[in-house]
Amino acid sequence: MSSFFLDLRIALLSLFEHKRRTFLLGAAVATVTALLVLLNGLSAGIRQTLIETATTISTGHLNVGGFFKVTAGRGSPIVTDYQKVVEVVKREVPELDFSVPRGRGWGKIVSDSGSTQAGIGGIEIEHERDFKRIVQLSSGNFEDLAQPNTILLFESQIKKLQVKIGDAVTISAQTPRGVANTVDCRVVAIAKDIGLLSQWNVFVSSDSLRSLYQLRPDVTGAIHLHLHPKALKDLPRLAARLRTSLEHAGYRLMEPDPKPFFMKFQSVAREDWTGQKLDVTTWEDELSFMMWTLKALDGLTFILMLILMGIVVTGIMNTMWIAIRERTKEIGTLRAMGMQRGSVVRMFFLESLLLGIFGGVTGVTLGVSLAALLNAAHIHVPLTVQIFLMSDTLHLAVLPTAMLSALLLVAVVTGAASLFPSLRAARLKPVDAMSHFG
Amino acid sequence: MAIIVSIRNATKDYRLGKVLVPALRGVSLEVNSGEFLSIAGPSGSGKTTLLNLIGCVDTPTSGTVEVAGRNTAELGERALTRLRLYTIGFIFQSFNLVGVLDVFRNVELPLLLQRTLSSKERAERVHSLLDRVGLKEYSDHRPSELSGGQRQRVAIARALVTRPQLVLADEPTANLDSVTGQNILDLMRELNHADGTTFIFSTHDARVMSYANAVIRLADGKLSDTSDGGRATDAEVAELGHVSAGASQP
Ligand SMILES: Nc1ncnc2c1ncn2[C@@H]1O[C@H](COP(=O)(O)OP(=O)(O)O)[C@@H](O)[C@H]1O
Ligand SMILES: [Mg+2]
Repeated sequence: MSSFFLDLRIALLSLFEHKRRTFLLGAAVATVTALLVLLNGLSAGIRQTLIETATTISTGHLNVGGFFKVTAGRGSPIVTDYQKVVEVVKREVPELDFSVPRGRGWGKIVSDSGSTQAGIGGIEIEHERDFKRIVQLSSGNFEDLAQPNTILLFESQIKKLQVKIGDAVTISAQTPRGVANTVDCRVVAIAKDIGLLSQWNVFVSSDSLRSLYQLRPDVTGAIHLHLHPKALKDLPRLAARLRTSLEHAGYRLMEPDPKPFFMKFQSVAREDWTGQKLDVTTWEDELSFMMWTLKALDGLTFILMLILMGIVVTGIMNTMWIAIRERTKEIGTLRAMGMQRGSVVRMFFLESLLLGIFGGVTGVTLGVSLAALLNAAHIHVPLTVQIFLMSDTLHLAVLPTAMLSALLLVAVVTGAASLFPSLRAARLKPVDAMSHFG
Repeated sequence: MAIIVSIRNATKDYRLGKVLVPALRGVSLEVNSGEFLSIAGPSGSGKTTLLNLIGCVDTPTSGTVEVAGRNTAELGERALTRLRLYTIGFIFQSFNLVGVLDVFRNVELPLLLQRTLSSKERAERVHSLLDRVGLKEYSDHRPSELSGGQRQRVAIARALVTRPQLVLADEPTANLDSVTGQNILDLMRELNHADGTTFIFSTHDARVMSYANAVIRLADGKLSDTSDGGRATDAEVAELGHVSAGASQP
């Protein structure tokens, strides 16, 4: 035990003795740690923004949807008598924060001067919670969406359709029975673009969608379940549990298939059944077509982290190399006096580890402060980035686990960088080490 | 009398590029416990090399080295390190103190490595040794704040703190002025007398040799051809040492 404190004491004193080197190395370690924290915060922030936006606009965390088939060959993505399904969900999913019904459709939106294809969300604005925060209006207001035959458009669609608040557009689509139908809607809200999702989405009051598709009032497209944050870690398990619960409640369920609903039309049409079947998916299933952005983000973060760590390891190894060379005579003396090789290595590892911890703690503090500053500055991102970010401002999310792991990683890597040079020095014969100059 | 060091036919060659430098060419030697022995010889004669072999910090090219009854060729690295830690104390020509530690910690260091004494026992041991080498007041000084003579006293205290059977000193006074050197030698001899610790020190200075109660002479990596395995007679020592006998001889 006392030998450990000897190592610790020599390590601390040596660090203190070489103030300049300690300071420079510590600063380098701190900088890299801060960069790691920022990088991680950026990646986590983008992920958070992306998930929040995407789940609020188009899926919820869990999505209870399904198909209703009038004949075996024709399926509509609807849930009939959805209030009963909501009852079951409320009873069986204690993790539930709130749920909202959404109509689903696909059609053509036509104005006097243009037209565009879009996914049509039927929304009950009075039941929405985060929607009004995530979707930012540039003109009009949300409340008007509660009125019949109203529509919310995004700015990019406004450009195509050349309309303004109060103008009418016509939506045309095919009903479940295969009949073409139209409905006229008044533009009551225009929202700022939010990346990919605003390219192919419009929102209409839910009754507009029902009249377009000639559906009864107890029909919706899907129920978005928003869960408490803690439950988000294991969504597939929750989805499976909810499936079982719904089956017990007497519902028929579709085979689990991690794909968005609009990719299931064909397989559903091939299956030989009629009536209602429910489907439970996670947001990752529904948005699997855009998960590549998150994967690319993770990959990029990982590569940048590797590069950063490579720089630290090389820098620290070099400096430790020089430091250990300078102290080869001291090592020889200690070895002659009876210090084992392992202790020599441990002594330098400890010194380096301490440096890593000091630098790391400083760096984490620095990184967290910088992230807070950047968030407070509400930095606007360029349009091309917005498409992937689904937000117009930069948001960094520094999670405690990221802070801890950056610190741990840096400390361990810094410590490890001393191993090679100190092992080499410890392996020298004591005489050779002692007669070492420089 | 117990034999503490026994060397048979030791040779040591250094490799300098492609050239083999023979530093020792067949040295045989026995040292009794409690001796105060000087290895004398001109610069380059192999004194340091021989002390390194005895101190188990280097290995012979051929021949055997036995220290405290252990054949060093049969010991692994860890065992050799332990042998040094528990049996041998080193005093170096250039002191080799650990610069970042104060005097107390420098002297305590071998005890910390041994891990046998409590911190209270260690403190007692260190303080009593610092007292004996006359550095009681200096225990919290850094080596850089001390004079050469004071540093070598610290080194002596450090070498003795584990109560080793054998203390090796390679030209312990070479970096000191002559008065300070004499003080150091007096101190070493006093400790040899009081505790019976075996001292082997090397020197090329005849006055320093005269402190020894036995001298072996090295030249060109060989012991001089004298009686008693290379040991000089008292007369030779007296002749070599130009120091007045009254001041230096026991
Ligand atoms: N590390 C070494 N490499 C090559 N030659 C050495 C080395 N150490 C000592 N020598 C040579 O070995 C001989 C004996 O050296 P040494 O034992 O240091 O003598 P001394 O201590 O009596 O001055 C000298 O010729 C010296 O040049
Ligand atoms: Mg020498």
